[in-house]
Amino acid sequence: MTLEAVGFWVVAAVLLASSLAVVLTPNLFHAVLYLAAVLVTTAVVFLLLGSPFLFAVQLLLYAVGVMTIVVFAIMLTERLIGERIVQTSRHLLNGAVVAAAVFVGVAGFLIRAPRLVPHPAAAADATPAIGRALVGPFAVTLELLGLLLVVALLGALYFARTDE
Amino acid sequence: MTLPPVAWYTLEAFIVLNAIILLVTYVTLLERKFAARMQSRIGPYYVGRPHGWLQPIADALKLMIKEDIVPAAADRGVYNLAPIVFLVPCMLIFATIPFAPELGVADLNIGVLFFLAVSSLEIVGLFMGGWGSNNKYALLSAMRAVNQIISYDLPFVFAALVPVLLAGSLQMSAIVTAQEGLWFVFYPLIGQLAFLAYLVATLAAENRVPFDILEAESELVAGFRVEYSGMKFALIQLAEYAHMLGTSFLGALLFLGGWLGPGPAWLGPLWFLGKAVLIFLLVTWVRWSFVRIRVDQILAISWKLLLPATIVLLLATGLVVATRGAGGP
Repeated sequence: MTLEAVGFWVVAAVLLASSLAVVLTPNLFHAVLYLAAVLVTTAVVFLLLGSPFLFAVQLLLYAVGVMTIVVFAIMLTERLIGERIVQTSRHLLNGAVVAAAVFVGVAGFLIRAPRLVPHPAAAADATPAIGRALVGPFAVTLELLGLLLVVALLGALYFARTDE
Repeated sequence: MTLPPVAWYTLEAFIVLNAIILLVTYVTLLERKFAARMQSRIGPYYVGRPHGWLQPIADALKLMIKEDIVPAAADRGVYNLAPIVFLVPCMLIFATIPFAPELGVADLNIGVLFFLAVSSLEIVGLFMGGWGSNNKYALLSAMRAVNQIISYDLPFVFAALVPVLLAGSLQMSAIVTAQEGLWFVFYPLIGQLAFLAYLVATLAAENRVPFDILEAESELVAGFRVEYSGMKFALIQLAEYAHMLGTSFLGALLFLGGWLGPGPAWLGPLWFLGKAVLIFLLVTWVRWSFVRIRVDQILAISWKLLLPATIVLLLATGLVVATRGAGGP
């Protein structure tokens, strides 16, 4: 096994274990920390696939941004005001069924896909291509996403304002 | 001598890590001496006469033999893991910094982005410390940290993007090469404003006075690390200073031309170190000159002044680059 394969299997094991921990741990704060581990490990998967740009963006947006907001929400709702919220995974069985179904779907797709296709040689530096694609063919999508975020921001402002 | 690549990388990482830890240790002495001089004191003197040059070593030894106390009500796993989670990103940021042409661990083509992404990960460790201690002050401090990080991450990134736009590259070495004609801090108007914004955002990102509400010795005692002692405390201190030093190196690289300077090529790393220390001293100077400001003032500075200003600055830079082309004036 090559070093890269070893790296992949280690990362995959960590990713799987921490994903399970996110849903199975009863402590909400621990769940958030495991989620951070999941997001960082996903970033490492991007790195293994040879895309440092996606690695950095994943860390910057998800690992940091989402973490910050989630932890902020817990801190504001939990220990400071009122008692602890315990995570209860009541629909564990249903979740397992859905997860298994998704796994079968993805695995079936992967098995039917032609294997041993030579890995297409990645461009030496894909970052400029991603940038051009975002302002070129996908400009409208990008703008719509921006609009969505602005709407979310306005909604947050609406809910957070003080009653007069 | 031919080594397998893995052994070679391990050796390289070992050397770089130890050099950085030594540097960081001595930066604390520099800060203490500098602060002392500002207050007409002498500062550390007796340990390692003259001028206390052995003081950091003595501090490290003292912290290592101190008793390690874990609060009874702490969330043990999180509490024990926090200093490590805090330290790792602060050390990783040095991976992409080239100290001279071809002298660095990895000169990624997205070096600046890597630095920004990894350096902001330290907040996770900070949370874990603040929450895991199960202490009112630590938790308050962690909350304030979230506040501050959300507020100052954006201006920091935008200020750092100005040199990136001017150089037309995210690669650290390419940014330095682009400054061969003119350091970006001397770029008319844009350079100075961006450097100023970078310094202010650095102060806030490093939780330094006047933005140190999350440490606030006089009200929160020491904030998120109040329950830590011994080696864990040492790790947190090390991480904080490493982060500060890393940000100084980035500032020197983005605005002050990195290793560029008169003299032979082997002087490059020394020039770079000197410039980074200069930024560090600037930040320290502010720290010992101003008082702490309030939470709402901190937020107002970020959202009402710094963020719009850096966005306008970024747009202006884009306009300049579009009309005159990237890569210096």
